[in-house]
Amino acid sequence: MGCFDALSARQIAAGIVAGDFSATEVARASLDAIAARDGQVQAFLQLSEDRALAAAAKTDAARAAGEVLPPLAGVPVAFKDNMNLMGTRTTCASRMLETYESAYTATCVQRMLDAGVTPMGKLNMDEFAFGSTTDSSAFHPTNNPWDTTRVPGGSSGGSAAAVASGEITIALGSDTGGSIRQPASLCGVVGMKPTYGMVSRFGVVAFGSSLDQVGPFGRHVEDVALALNALTAGGHDRFDSTSQDGEQDFLAHLNDSIEGRSVGVIPALFEAKGLAPEVRTALQRAADKLADAGANIIEVDLPNMASAIAAYYVIAPCEAFSNLARYDGVRYGYQEPGCSTLAEQSSLSRAHGFGAEAKRRQMLGAYLLSSGIYEKYYLAAQKVRTLITADYRRAFKQVDAILMPASPTPAWKHGAISDPAELYLADIYTISNNIAGNCGISVPVCLGAESGLPIGAQLQGPVFADAQLLTFARALERSCSMEGVVAPGFSGRGGEL
Amino acid sequence: MPLTREDVAGIAEYARIGLTDDELTEMTSYLNDAVDLLDPLLAYDLEDVEPTFHPIGDLVNVVRDDVVVAGLSLEEALANAGSKRGRAFRVPAILSDGGAA
Repeated sequence: MGCFDALSARQIAAGIVAGDFSATEVARASLDAIAARDGQVQAFLQLSEDRALAAAAKTDAARAAGEVLPPLAGVPVAFKDNMNLMGTRTTCASRMLETYESAYTATCVQRMLDAGVTPMGKLNMDEFAFGSTTDSSAFHPTNNPWDTTRVPGGSSGGSAAAVASGEITIALGSDTGGSIRQPASLCGVVGMKPTYGMVSRFGVVAFGSSLDQVGPFGRHVEDVALALNALTAGGHDRFDSTSQDGEQDFLAHLNDSIEGRSVGVIPALFEAKGLAPEVRTALQRAADKLADAGANIIEVDLPNMASAIAAYYVIAPCEAFSNLARYDGVRYGYQEPGCSTLAEQSSLSRAHGFGAEAKRRQMLGAYLLSSGIYEKYYLAAQKVRTLITADYRRAFKQVDAILMPASPTPAWKHGAISDPAELYLADIYTISNNIAGNCGISVPVCLGAESGLPIGAQLQGPVFADAQLLTFARALERSCSMEGVVAPGFSGRGGEL
Repeated sequence: MPLTREDVAGIAEYARIGLTDDELTEMTSYLNDAVDLLDPLLAYDLEDVEPTFHPIGDLVNVVRDDVVVAGLSLEEALANAGSKRGRAFRVPAILSDGGAA
């Protein structure tokens, strides 16, 4: 029949219902593709072969019994390793949690399981989601499937790479400052950060609690919409007080015309220092294509966006320091042996359990929350957050979505940027979205004329306008020729169905 | 004024992260670079601006019905502990000579 990586999630689920293939055959095809490809990609931290085959067998039995199958029945999915799934370790790619066995299952994972997916395993990430390369994983880096000498982006680099290499069909990631949209852009797949609160954070290891949001990766906008249907099914999660009732059918208006709707562009961003010429060209073309599809392109301004990095690098480290204080080596996590006092045990467990970037972020947060410094930076950052949010509110009175890059450059070589503060600047296009809580999505639009690497266009939308954002994303996808593309070096390797 | 090594050693103690001498040197340089990155915040006059601590502004406490439900069992709660004894997490002495209390 061909390789399973040529199929979308909808096609896989429909093929199982029609009896073209079984869920077990799809699970085996995905395992086979992972075996053939992941040695080079290194997207996975843990395979859950037994669970995958058991779930697939359950799907096949349900079909044999004549039951109506759920919408993502038999679709191979994997999870960023900051999401708890009973029966797997949840390591956050850290020595601190290297042996941590999930004590329960995260709501986002459970809802995907309820939608019938086949859980293939857990995916690599920057340690505790601190980073934009996945190189800070304590276990191994992940390679970009388009050029394995390059980073896949981060922090959900394993999720983006596993989908881009065709090992799986959908992945979940989390996005605190761009950690879904940036790796999606660098790996040439679709990645969506839903509006803050759309997806429950229960069971997802906390980084920045007012910024974190779970979202899906796929090779088709439609697959991402299907995953969002699953993630919001059941509405508010009583285990997460910030979760909202966002349940709706995200497929209902997916293919609507965008004729007469408006898309904002920010001219100053197109001239920003550090923006690669081929990314600028790709974005200008994306704007032209949206205009060809009937959208009005309107110039807007987010005057305080230039301060978003400063605000983020106060808010996020402070929230991280607070959240990661729980890793004290007592109840779970790495415990330093042979200590004579509790203080020594905590201090050395944290010193040897956390990697360099995790220590940096916590040290920055600890400093910024200290007496006297708090007022100067933390309070100022939360006030600038008010200004950034107001900028968006003004802009979204004029336009339905805003178009901008997801990353200033295509994927770079491993180790090419070593200065942490310089790396932070790469988040410039994604961060303000988390600060305001808006929804955002990166859609692959072309290969760079210079680099030959995929380039994503990011669309941002107002809070709880996720369905409308997907309509714009689908319109953009339709006008480009990147839908469903698997990285050429991996496409069709193993995974015969 | 830039942070000194002594300042950073104090922050590390507060953050309970033991740093080696080399790490302390690297961390001092990092923290000064990172704090420089925050300069744009200081250029604002923010006196009349209300802070936004959370993107969902009108949060209220969500309280479930007061009924007994099962939580983690003792075994489950202790399963990931580095050391335990009987029904408890085991830690070095807190109140003995070596303790900080």
